[in-house]
Amino acid sequence: MSYERPADLARALALRAEGGRVVLAGGTDLLAATRARELRGPVLDVTGVAEMQGVTLSAEGLRLGGAASWTAVARAPLPPACAGLQAAARVVGSTQIQNRGTVAGNLVNASPAADSVPPLLTLDAEVELVSLRGTRRLALGAFLLGPRRTALAADELLVAVHVPAAALAGQGAFEKLGARAHLVISIGMAAARLVVAGGRVVSAALAVGACSPVAQRLGAVEAALVGRPLAELGEALDPAAAAAALSPIDDVRADAGYRRAVAPELLRRALLACAPAPETAL
Amino acid sequence: MNDGTGSREPTSPGRRRFLISTALSGAAPMMGRIGPAEAAETGAPPAVTPGAMPTMAISLTVNGRTHRLDLDPRKTLLDGLREEIGLTGVKKGCDHGQCGACTVLIDGRRELSCLTLAAAAEGREVVTVEGLAAADGTLHPMQQAFIDHDALQCGYCTPGQILSAIGCVQEGHAETADDIREYMSGNICRCAAYPNIVAAVADARARMEG
Repeated sequence: MSYERPADLARALALRAEGGRVVLAGGTDLLAATRARELRGPVLDVTGVAEMQGVTLSAEGLRLGGAASWTAVARAPLPPACAGLQAAARVVGSTQIQNRGTVAGNLVNASPAADSVPPLLTLDAEVELVSLRGTRRLALGAFLLGPRRTALAADELLVAVHVPAAALAGQGAFEKLGARAHLVISIGMAAARLVVAGGRVVSAALAVGACSPVAQRLGAVEAALVGRPLAELGEALDPAAAAAALSPIDDVRADAGYRRAVAPELLRRALLACAPAPETAL
Repeated sequence: MNDGTGSREPTSPGRRRFLISTALSGAAPMMGRIGPAEAAETGAPPAVTPGAMPTMAISLTVNGRTHRLDLDPRKTLLDGLREEIGLTGVKKGCDHGQCGACTVLIDGRRELSCLTLAAAAEGREVVTVEGLAAADGTLHPMQQAFIDHDALQCGYCTPGQILSAIGCVQEGHAETADDIREYMSGNICRCAAYPNIVAAVADARARMEG
């Protein structure tokens, strides 16, 4: 059989372990990148796997099934910390793409410009990787190794993404810059998640995408924000420090210098969007 | 849609391949020159001889009719609909998920048939533009609104626009002109009939809900 769409994980893992199959998890990247007739060999379509469905909240946190579509992520009733993730879900291509494209597909595809990655990094997301050998969890930042490279083993499937309950605190936001408003690959994007108390920053999580081989958190910039009053939030973000943490390249969408200039501004906007209104409203 | 930063320019290789295959009517000899090792280095997908895979039997439910097909499992739903079933209302624009011309409804949701394998649509309800009118020929309100508002010029993108617009209304994303513009952004109109398309969608929403 050269196309399989198993209904359960056990069967999917058995097929994966046999090797030689291209894993299809929606196909919006796979089929856009490889014309269909050039698909290398048999296809393992994981979108029907029961264990990979759903967007669910529990006491442990948030679980995104690997086969959950971006529409499902965008439409789920999630806490404000996930606002950035949901905003990103709404700009993964068009609505048609969001209806078909999946969480696992987007992450395993490992594009440096994947819109979902910066907000997931600010949510301390972990990926659940399963094979017949067992299950392991990796921080998303450790899973993404480089452009189009991940830590996924040849017999593993990315079954789910987990956000720990502790990371569901605060308010999230997402800012994307493209050549136009919609249906565009990002020049750069930034995600923030801010926890405040008594008018001051308790913790901040910041991430930038499309400005380094892998989207990344900016730990030093985050640390400098802790304890700062909300009224100073815009100035508290050091653009030079943010730019220094990045390693953008020149490409068809923008040059490196432009990216270095806009990334801190995207971060500043995302950060301000996280702050409670009205005194810091844009 | 999420391309790597500068790792690849999505449009030109496909276009080049299209031109090659058009010119040579069969791209296998050209593509066969790229060996797996070289392909790995360049990041290009390793070449395979087209047609090497055995066919598989699937049944597709399109516009309420079930079609039993024997096709290459790598065939897209777009090619299956056009070439196997003869539903040429589904248009092949970019074949890359960027233009929306191939939009169909699958289980009521708008999806791109160029980025969906035909085999993956088995067991799901597919609707194309041919399936919208009533049995007596009465057009779907969205079709009628596109005519009434002159929401097209060349018409090539129109079937995809109409199906996408039906999805847009059913999702509740057609409440304002801004919403319509945002949620119809996956459908490109090279004639730029956009103002009339927005008007048609808003009008059809009222007719569909009324």
